[in-house]
Amino acid sequence: MHPFIRHLLNRSLVTIVTLLVAFNLSYLLLRAVPTSAVDAMLGAIAQLGQRIDPEEYMRLRTLLLELFGLTGSPLDQYLTYLRRFFTLDFGPSFLAFPTPAREIAVRYLPWTVGLLVIATMISWIIGNMLGVLVSFIRAKAVSRIFENIAIILYPIPYYIFSLVLIYVFAFLIPIFSLSPASMPQVRIGSVQELLDLMLYLIRVTSLPAISIIVISAFGWWFISSRTLSLFTMTEDYVIFARLRGIDIGRIRSKYVLRSIMVPQVTALALSLGSIFSGALVTEYVFAYPGLGSLLYQAIVLGDYPVALTIMSLSLIGIAIATWFLDTIVYYIVDPRIRYVR
Amino acid sequence: MNIVLKSFSKISSISKAFFSLGRYARFKFGSAMLLIIAALAFTSMLAPPTYERWYYYQKDLPPQLDINRLDLILGTTTNGRPILWITLNALANSLYIGVLTALIASHIGLLIGLLAGLARGYKESILITMIDSFVSLPGLPLLIVLAMALKQNLSIYFIPLILSVIAWAWPARNVRSITVSVLSRDFIVTSSFSGIRFTGILFYEVLPYVIGWHITNFINTIIWAIGMETALAIFGLSILSKDTLGTMIYWALNYNALFRGLWWWLLPPVLLLILIFVSLYMISVSISTYLNPRLRGGSGR
Repeated sequence: MHPFIRHLLNRSLVTIVTLLVAFNLSYLLLRAVPTSAVDAMLGAIAQLGQRIDPEEYMRLRTLLLELFGLTGSPLDQYLTYLRRFFTLDFGPSFLAFPTPAREIAVRYLPWTVGLLVIATMISWIIGNMLGVLVSFIRAKAVSRIFENIAIILYPIPYYIFSLVLIYVFAFLIPIFSLSPASMPQVRIGSVQELLDLMLYLIRVTSLPAISIIVISAFGWWFISSRTLSLFTMTEDYVIFARLRGIDIGRIRSKYVLRSIMVPQVTALALSLGSIFSGALVTEYVFAYPGLGSLLYQAIVLGDYPVALTIMSLSLIGIAIATWFLDTIVYYIVDPRIRYVR
Repeated sequence: MNIVLKSFSKISSISKAFFSLGRYARFKFGSAMLLIIAALAFTSMLAPPTYERWYYYQKDLPPQLDINRLDLILGTTTNGRPILWITLNALANSLYIGVLTALIASHIGLLIGLLAGLARGYKESILITMIDSFVSLPGLPLLIVLAMALKQNLSIYFIPLILSVIAWAWPARNVRSITVSVLSRDFIVTSSFSGIRFTGILFYEVLPYVIGWHITNFINTIIWAIGMETALAIFGLSILSKDTLGTMIYWALNYNALFRGLWWWLLPPVLLLILIFVSLYMISVSISTYLNPRLRGGSGR
């Protein structure tokens, strides 16, 4: 069998198992709750100060029971939850009542995906380039400074760093106003409107993007690519290329950077889940109109359909993105896989 | 007698390793910071019981240096609680959550990783697929749903258990790959042919290679767990009636502390978190540099 096909099958299997594990885990744990989760949630809703009369209470209770798939026989419950999990159909939102929760989540999705894709790509590229460049620097002091900066930045989560950014850029030096961004009407009629939209997007996106890019580019991607590059420089084929007198710039770009990309793509695929988790909190901290802010609202106001939809949406989305990076992109960056017969 | 000698040589080798770690500036910095943090966490036991009461003090007091009122050195919150005592208790609770999670998760990971490294055939593929799928699982969305359902019964002992559901996979993956690479070396074949039992090979030949990585992973899991608890708390899904560094941030954001100019409420937990993460990570980096000489390469030491 062609190694790529084997790799593809293997990754697809892992992706399917990941989704099944996520689904079964949430199913089991929601049922392993000591007291009835539904009654606890109703208690939490009642604490919000809304007066619920008994009839309404019972109606809400059956709705919640049905929502978590707690009605019917165990097999029915399992199948209902399975269907809901994979079709993202958790019924209407409690807050915006007739609107389906899926519709609300999908409305916020492009914002999260946009921020995440741009921030992750920029930080991956900058971090890897910088790591390789710094590994070539002969001056020990300079590379030491970079290394220390990276080691300080790497363990800090995005959302903690974003609180520092908010303190500095909205309180000490008020450059950015941090009033919650609203979703603009996307209506592009003229060049002027397009420009306005672009400016608005840049203003809203820049701070959250900066907090993700600074931490992950100067932290993990820098550290790992520098280490990999130091290893690669001592490989026989690089030493041979240098002895043959090949231009050092060519060696760096074609021999070292190229070979680092393969493990780094795998690393990116593996860390996608944690990048997403960090970005979710960062979005809420900056009141950025993405899934993070929606999730916060849903949790605080007890809108369980929306929260469950966001959970399964992000689990499925991350699984597919990981699969894509680890198969298609891996195929593109790793020539060994393409030329095997 | 023999046992005494053996344990003495073990202790001396551990202390030797510790002293050679002391040569690293990072290790010195990290452990000094950690000592200060631990000392601060212990002073939380001196907190007067009144610190939990609302409006016992004046509200929104800015920090003040007054020898007679040391508990107001960091000011008070909008609920009239002294921030100094809140911060110290929060620090102790967060460290507690981190260490307990690391104790549970990293050891489960070590066990499963060793098993996966030793397993052969279909057992091996099942374990690998299991570990790989847990590794790529995004933790936060899953944890959020769990914490949402469990919100009413959360306790400081329960949160580490929830966090461990996700945290065991990464150590298991790495322990497995280390075990596999050690098992493929020649000396394992030699020792197996010279009649050393399987458990003997596991404990005396494989485990020493794994244990160093296990220690650094233990420290990294503390960092991860404290960060995750903070993330959950920012969404209001931790034990909001208890003080942890995360719930402190939650309440400060909830009362809009920064925009009302109460910077002394938000900054202590943020700075302490950064300090904890950086000092723990410096210790873990210096241990892994010590264990893996190839990493010492270009760093000039």
